[in-house]
Amino acid sequence: MRKFAPWIIGLVLLFWAVSRMLPPKEVPGFDVPGFGRLPVLVDGRVMPMDTLARVTLSEMNHHGAYTTATGNIELPSRGLMEILMRPENSDTAKLFEVSNQEIIDLFGSQDAKGQFVHYSFNELKPFFGEIEKQAGLAGQSDPEARNPFARGIIKLRDSLRVYLELKNTLQAEDSPDFGKEIRAFEAAIGPGMQAVRDRDANKPFNERDFERMLLFTQRYQNLTLAKYAYAIPNPQRPTENDGWQHISESLLSGITSGQVSYPAMIYGQLISAYRAGDVKGFNTVVREYGSYLSKTIPEKLNRPKLEFLFNEAQPFLQAMTLYVIVLVLALFSWLLWPKTLSKAAIIVLLGAFVIHTFGLITRMYLQGRPPVTNLYSSAIFVGWASVLLCVVLEWIYKNGIGSVCGAVIGFVTLLIAHNLQLDGDTLEMLRAVLDTNGWLATHVVGEALGYSAMFLAGLIGIIYIFRGLLTTSFDEAISRSLGRMMYGVVCFATLCSLVATILGGIWADQSWGRFWGWDPKENGALLIVLWNAITLHARWGGYVRERGMALMAVFGNVITSLSWFGVNMLGVGLHSYGFMDKAFGPLLAFIVSQLVIIGLGLIPPRYWRGIQARGKRSLLAQAQPALAQSGER
Amino acid sequence: MTSELARWLKPITSLKLTIFCLACAMVLVFVGTLDQVHIGIYEAENRYFKSFFLFFSPPHSELKIPWFPGGYIVGGLLLVNLIAAHVARFKLSWKKAGILLLHSGLILLLVGQLFADLFVDLESQMRLDQGQTKDYSESLYHDELALIDTSDADSDHVVSIPASRLHDRSRIDLPIDRLQLVVDEYYPNSALVNPTQLPSPNYPHLRVGPMAVAVQMEKTYKENERNQPSAAVSIFQNGQRIGDWSLAAGFPRPVTFQAGVKSYQMVLRPKRFYKPFAIQLLQFRHDRYAGTDIAKNFSSRIRLLDPAKHEDRESLVFMNNPLRYRGYTFYQAGFDNDDKTTVLQVAQNPSWLVPYISCALIVLGMLLQFGMHLVSFVKRRVIA
Repeated sequence: MRKFAPWIIGLVLLFWAVSRMLPPKEVPGFDVPGFGRLPVLVDGRVMPMDTLARVTLSEMNHHGAYTTATGNIELPSRGLMEILMRPENSDTAKLFEVSNQEIIDLFGSQDAKGQFVHYSFNELKPFFGEIEKQAGLAGQSDPEARNPFARGIIKLRDSLRVYLELKNTLQAEDSPDFGKEIRAFEAAIGPGMQAVRDRDANKPFNERDFERMLLFTQRYQNLTLAKYAYAIPNPQRPTENDGWQHISESLLSGITSGQVSYPAMIYGQLISAYRAGDVKGFNTVVREYGSYLSKTIPEKLNRPKLEFLFNEAQPFLQAMTLYVIVLVLALFSWLLWPKTLSKAAIIVLLGAFVIHTFGLITRMYLQGRPPVTNLYSSAIFVGWASVLLCVVLEWIYKNGIGSVCGAVIGFVTLLIAHNLQLDGDTLEMLRAVLDTNGWLATHVVGEALGYSAMFLAGLIGIIYIFRGLLTTSFDEAISRSLGRMMYGVVCFATLCSLVATILGGIWADQSWGRFWGWDPKENGALLIVLWNAITLHARWGGYVRERGMALMAVFGNVITSLSWFGVNMLGVGLHSYGFMDKAFGPLLAFIVSQLVIIGLGLIPPRYWRGIQARGKRSLLAQAQPALAQSGER
Repeated sequence: MTSELARWLKPITSLKLTIFCLACAMVLVFVGTLDQVHIGIYEAENRYFKSFFLFFSPPHSELKIPWFPGGYIVGGLLLVNLIAAHVARFKLSWKKAGILLLHSGLILLLVGQLFADLFVDLESQMRLDQGQTKDYSESLYHDELALIDTSDADSDHVVSIPASRLHDRSRIDLPIDRLQLVVDEYYPNSALVNPTQLPSPNYPHLRVGPMAVAVQMEKTYKENERNQPSAAVSIFQNGQRIGDWSLAAGFPRPVTFQAGVKSYQMVLRPKRFYKPFAIQLLQFRHDRYAGTDIAKNFSSRIRLLDPAKHEDRESLVFMNNPLRYRGYTFYQAGFDNDDKTTVLQVAQNPSWLVPYISCALIVLGMLLQFGMHLVSFVKRRVIA
C-alpha cells in the first residue's frame, strides 16, 4: 500500500486537473460555444470569436470579464454576443475599468477612492468629449514620458473605440432587426440600380427606389469607419488580404453583384434570432453556418477550432495550479511522510510539466512559430525550460530540491505570463524584423534558455542561503551538492546566453547592418554573459566557494530580471517592441528582495545555524568516544 | 618560457585582473545603457563604449575629470590579459583544448570589433525616391559645409568642411583659389520657422530665405530626431569680402556666388559618402497583414550600376536580406513619403565575417569544455 500511495495521490490530482481541461458539456439555451468557435479576422490573423471576446474584454478591464448591469459575470463569448448583437444591453454592462484616481476625479465622481471603478458605456457617455480631448493631449507626449493619468486616459479612449467598433462588426448598431434590414436592402438593390441607371441616362426614374438605394449606400459607407474585426469570409477572392470582409464591405459589394453574400445573410439571421430570443432558430443557424464554412474554407478552420478548445482548456492555468500543489506537497514532505509526499510531488510535477508542454506546443502550432515571439511567450517558455532543468536535477540528485525549484519557477513565470496576457492578443502577428523562424528559434530561444537557467541557479542559491542560515540539517554533503548544482546550471546558462548573444549579433548584422549596436536589449544580454564569466572565473580561481557561488547566483537573478524586463522599460532602441511600463513596481520589489537575500547571505558563517550545528556535531563526534571510555571505567 | 618573462608577465596574466576588467565592463554597460534614456544610443556609444575614459564635468565649468575607464581601456586591458594569460600558461593538451578554442574565439571577436570601430566609416543612409539614382549615402549624425567649384563643365571640385569645425567666429582657409571662410554665427541645432512666428523681430535668428528663418534650438539626443545646424558665413578672397550668406542644413539648397572668373556653390548638408557605383530605386513594396497597419515585409527592388566593373543588374533588398557589394552592405532600414521612398542603411564593414568565425570557435570550445565536464561528472556518478 505504501508503495502505491504516491501514485494514488499524484494521479488523483492529475485527473482532477485534466478533467478541468475538457470541453464544456452542452447546456440548454443559446449555443454559446458554437458561436465562440466561429472564425473572424482580427489584426491580421484568423481567430475564433472566443479569442476576440477574451482579447477585447481584457483591454477593457483587467479581469477580462463581462459583468452585466446586475453584477452577473458572463462567459466571454456570451458577452461578445451581447456586444455584437444586442448592444443596447451591453451598453449598460460594467465593462470599462478605471483605476487612476485623477481620471475618476475628471468625471467628478465620488466613487470609492483608490479602487478600480467599473463604468458602463452609458455611464461614460457624458464624458466622451472630455476623454477624447484629454487623450489627444496625452498622445502628444512621448510614450515613455507619459504619466499614469496620460496612459490611463489613452487606454480608456482606445478601449471605448474598440467597443464602438465591435458593436458595428456584424451589424449597424442602431438597427432594430438587422436580418430584416439586409433582406430589405437586397430587395432594394435591383430596382434601386435600375433607377440609378435611368437617372444617369437622363431618363425618367423611380425616385423612391433611387432614394432608398442612396440611403442604404450612405448607411453602409458610414459603417466602414468601424472596421476592426472582419467576420465575413469572402471565398470568391481568396488572396490573403481579400479573404475576409467587414460587414459593410460585404454589403457594399452586394450592390454590384445584386445580392447579399451568404455569410452576411447568415449573420443577419443570427442577429434576428438572438434578439427575438429564438434559441432553436439561433442554434440551427450556427450549425448551418458551420457546415457552410467547412465546405468553403475548410483549411482556415483548423486553427480557430483548436484555439477555441485551447482557450477553454487553459492549460497554463491548470499547470499553475498543479505547481502550487507540488510546492505544498514538497514542503509538507519535510514535515511528515517524506518518501510518500516527495514522490507524489515528483509525479504531479511531471504531470504539470506535460500539461505545460502541451500548452506550449499548441501555441506553437497555432502561431506557426518557434516558442518565443513576445514577452508573454518568453515567460511561458522560461518557466517551461526551468521546470525541465529541475526535472533533470531531481533525476540526478533525488533530494527534493528539483521539485521545489520547479514548482516555484513554474508557478511564478506562469503568473507573470498571466499578467502579461492582459496586454492583448498573445498570438499576434510578428513585425517584419522578427519574421524569420530560423533566428527566432535560435537566438531568442537561446536567450530564454539562458534566463531560465539563471533563475534556477539563483533559486538554488536562495535555498542554499536559507537552509544554511535557518536549518540545522545543513551538513557538508548538502552544501556541496547544492554548490555542484549551481555550478552546473551556471555553466549551462553561460553556454546558452553567450551563444545566443553572439547569434543575436549575427542576426543584427544581417538585418540592421551592424554586429553590435549597444542597444539596451543587447546590453542586457551582455550583462548576463559578463556576470556568468565573472562567476565562473571566480570559482575556477578559487576566490569563491559554495557560499560565494550562492551569493553570485542570487545576484544573477537581479541581472536577469533587468535584462528580461528592465531594458524594455527604457523604451530606447530597436528592440523596444517588447515595451511595457506597468511592471516597474514588481520588478523593483523583486530586485530589492534579492538584494536583501544577498545581505542575509553575507552574515558571517559562524552565525549560520547550519554551520553552528555542524560544529556541535563534530564536537559530539569527538566527545562520544571519550564518553564511551569513561563509561567503561 | 623563461622564468624571467613569466615573472614579468605575471601581473597582467592574473585571473584577478580578468575579473576586475569584467566587473568594470559590467558597470560600464549598465551605466551606459541607463544613460541612453537621456542622450540616446549614438551619444552613449561614443561616451561610454568608444572612449578611453568617462568624464565628469562639474556644473558650469569646462573642466573634464576622468572618473572611470571607458570601453577602449577596459576592452583593451581584457584583451591584453587574455592574450598574456594564454601565452604564459600555454600548454597543448586535450583538457585545455576547449578553453583555448573558446578564448581564441573571444580574442578574435574583440579584435574584430575594435578594428571595425577604429577603421570603419560611420554608418550612413541612402534615401531614394522611386526612380532616383544616387552614388552617395548621407550621414545620420554629421553635417558638412560643401563648397563646390562649378566652373568646369565636366566635373565639380568639392571642398567639404565637417560641421564640427564650424564655431562662432572661426576662420578657415580653404584649399581652393585662396578662399577663406569666416563663420559669423553657428547654431549646432536649429529650427526653420516663418519670420512671422518669431516672438519679436529682434529675437536672434538667421535669415535663410524670404519665408524662412533659423532659430537656435537645444541640441537633441532623441532617437528619431537629428540636429539641424545653421550658420551665417562670409567668404573672403585675398582679404576681400565676396559676400555673406545664411545656410541651414534643414533647407539644403545651395547658394551660388561668383569670385573672380569662377562660379561656386555653397551648401550646408548631411555629410556625404560617395561610392564608386550608383544605385537606383526601381520599386519599393510594403506589405501589411490583412486588415492592419502592421508591416509584414518591406522590400526595395533596386538597380546596381557600376560601369567600371561592367555591372548593371537588378537586386532585391528586404528585411534580413541585405545587398553586399564591394565591401558595402545595403540594408532595408525604413521607408517614407507614403511608401514611395526607401531608406537603405549603408554599412562598410570589411570584418563582417569575423563574428561568424569567432562564434563557431566559441561554440565549439564551450561544447568541448562543458561536454568534458559533463562526461567526467557522469562517469564519477556511475562509479559512485
